[in-house]
Amino acid sequence: MSWLTAFIAWLGEFFGDPESWSGPGGIPARLLEHLEFSALALALAVLVAVPLGLLIGHTGRGELVVVVSANLARALPTLGLLVMFVLLLGAGSIWPVIIPLVLLSVPPILVNTYEGIKGVDPELRDAAYGMGLRGAQVLMRVLAPVALPLILLGCRLSAIQVVATTTVAAYTGLGGLGRYVIDGFATKDYASVVGGSVLIVLFALVVQAAFAVAQRVTVSPGVRQRTKVG
Amino acid sequence: MITFDGVSKRYPDGTVAVDRLSLEAPTGEITVFVGPSGCGKTTSLRMINRMIDATEGSILLDGEPVQGIDPPTLRRGIGYVIQQAGLFPHRKIVDNIATVPYLLGWDRKRARARAMDLLERVGLDPALAERYPFQLSGGQQQRVGVARALAADPPVLLMDEPFSAVDPVVRTSLQDELLRLQAELNKTIVFVTHDIDEAIKLGDRVAVLRVGGRLAQLADPKTLLSEPADDFVREFLGRDRGIRRLQFVPTEGLRLRTDLTVEQGAERGTSEPWLLVVDAESRPVGWASRERPGELEPYGTFVYGRDSMRAALDAALLSPSGCSVAVDERGKVVGVAARDALDQALAEAADG
Amino acid sequence: MGDGPPSIWEWIARNWDTGRVDSISNLLTDHLTMSLVPILLALLAALPLGLACVRWRWLYQPTAGLFNVVYALPSLPVFMLLISVTGLSQTTVIIPLAFYGTAVLIPAVVDGLNSVPDHVRQSAVAMGFTPLRRLLLVELPIAVPVVLAGLRVVAVSSISLVSVGALIGQGGLGGLFTRAYQNPFMPPVIVGIVLIVALALVADGFVVLAQRLLTPWVRARKGQGT
Repeated sequence: MSWLTAFIAWLGEFFGDPESWSGPGGIPARLLEHLEFSALALALAVLVAVPLGLLIGHTGRGELVVVVSANLARALPTLGLLVMFVLLLGAGSIWPVIIPLVLLSVPPILVNTYEGIKGVDPELRDAAYGMGLRGAQVLMRVLAPVALPLILLGCRLSAIQVVATTTVAAYTGLGGLGRYVIDGFATKDYASVVGGSVLIVLFALVVQAAFAVAQRVTVSPGVRQRTKVG
Repeated sequence: MITFDGVSKRYPDGTVAVDRLSLEAPTGEITVFVGPSGCGKTTSLRMINRMIDATEGSILLDGEPVQGIDPPTLRRGIGYVIQQAGLFPHRKIVDNIATVPYLLGWDRKRARARAMDLLERVGLDPALAERYPFQLSGGQQQRVGVARALAADPPVLLMDEPFSAVDPVVRTSLQDELLRLQAELNKTIVFVTHDIDEAIKLGDRVAVLRVGGRLAQLADPKTLLSEPADDFVREFLGRDRGIRRLQFVPTEGLRLRTDLTVEQGAERGTSEPWLLVVDAESRPVGWASRERPGELEPYGTFVYGRDSMRAALDAALLSPSGCSVAVDERGKVVGVAARDALDQALAEAADG
Repeated sequence: MGDGPPSIWEWIARNWDTGRVDSISNLLTDHLTMSLVPILLALLAALPLGLACVRWRWLYQPTAGLFNVVYALPSLPVFMLLISVTGLSQTTVIIPLAFYGTAVLIPAVVDGLNSVPDHVRQSAVAMGFTPLRRLLLVELPIAVPVVLAGLRVVAVSSISLVSVGALIGQGGLGGLFTRAYQNPFMPPVIVGIVLIVALALVADGFVVLAQRLLTPWVRARKGQGT
């Protein structure tokens, strides 16, 4: 178990060093950066994917877009996409990195929103129309609230993806917690690698927990359903 | 009144769901569309509130063609009840019932008060108001479905196989509840079912549709049972048409004997083979036969004047005496219908 | 072509099989190993775990919860943390990918087995199938479509995820991306992306083919158009 003692030593070295906690390279600053980039990318993805998913699910038009984007997003290597955008657009700003982050996080939200709306019991849709709700009212008052667990699942999967990809994006110069890992690995500073990795893992778990809470708060007790991974 | 005037529904692939249907569903009555699957009964119903648009002909609502009314506006004025109730799972029962009032812009308090009122009207505990649909049984959900359809007090109610997904006992109670409500509310109801017994029980008028969407017969239930228009209707009505027709024959004219009852403990004063023993409040206790005076045999009762001849005959068949006991609404014996009286009534029923 | 930068085809031809470890053909082989092994491991782990979760229902919530957490862990820090245990080897990439795959496959196995209609199960019992025969001959075949739908997701995402391993020097074709970034040059990136997507498509195709062979009745039913 020699690796365990080394592991603990590295953690002590990283978290015990006052240097780690201050300045632009300090943990608070890096954490905030990671949060900012992830939140920005996720917010943009939600803005694009939720309305699009609602619309495609409701009208049944453009279903091919959903299927293709879902498969493509899974198959496309994130690192390759990041490198490609940075080579194409230059490394001057955060956008060459944010764009692929958004592109990769749209499909999970899109697919789940679409599936959520599509999967609403046809009887329910029928009853809603039959009582005189208009198309938009049916979508917003009935279909969307019933599909909310799946829409949130999509957002959660995207958040997982974004946190991971933001980490990888440190390789192409983006800030955030990934810097500790990438820079530490390059300079053989294993305390930094291990400490950074632990921070990222904790960050991902907190994000996951935040979504679980959001689900509790926003989903009607009448439609809580089992959600699954994938 | 709802008027179908030469209404057809043809799909692009050539199938005809409804074929030149013309009929009227009179105001304040229950009109039942009944027929085998594929007869277009649901399609016909859904053309009334424009869930489906007719390809030919017109449907008039109190003289006004529905095709000229904006569908959501039209539907807010028509109650709609479907098979699985179609309750919104994310809203509490009270808010489900208040859906249409909210849509019509009622203020929240008034809409909820109306919903609570209706909850009781359809026979549900007001405590259910704050529950979610999944917490209710199928029968309770269906009652909520009816309450929801009635929320904005629409003159017309469309019911699409509303009771077919619940078990027979619950179904019977829902049917009775509907008849009781209808006696109070006098809505114009169009009711779709594949169950001919339900049609006969609920319908003021029954429209039998055949596959391909053509009207086979439109008549009140009694006429339907006594004079089916053709073999299709006869076969659809099923085997015991004669017996079932008796439920439309009243017992008011039935000749009753009052000399066949004897109070418990009293002397047997006649040589009649069977005597009905009653208690001090003249409720029936059992039949005593001449052969075995010590034993009491089972009896059957019907409410004189309210129940039908079918019930009277059924009561007779339940007892070895072959007679049925006529009681009043409170269960007191008013007389006994003996075999000869039943015979005579049956003969009259068969004639007319 | 003169002295300008080589075209993408020239670049491929020059780097395909140089005999060095970073030739495209070598990277391709590594990539296949590091993605196929975790897929198989995930399947081998998820089948018994899923069966156990169906057999003992109380197991499902905690198991699913645990793997939900595992699934949420970003790959790069997990690779990094594993380095101290398994070193800079392929194993370091294979282990986390196997866990991610298992996380996706367990619910697929459970849903698949739960998709067996109760009357089918009951009639199998009534006809005297032993539990094992019932599982092998009745329940698993009916669960196959759902399980394989999960396997498609696992196959495609494992193949693309391997490339992150390039950041610890074990990324198969992902190595093309790091090479292209250090020495700014587009062709390796394009070749890497195209090859990885192509591999994913082929793997996906194999799973679809397996599904067709294993469940001929699904196609027969579709053919009837019902």
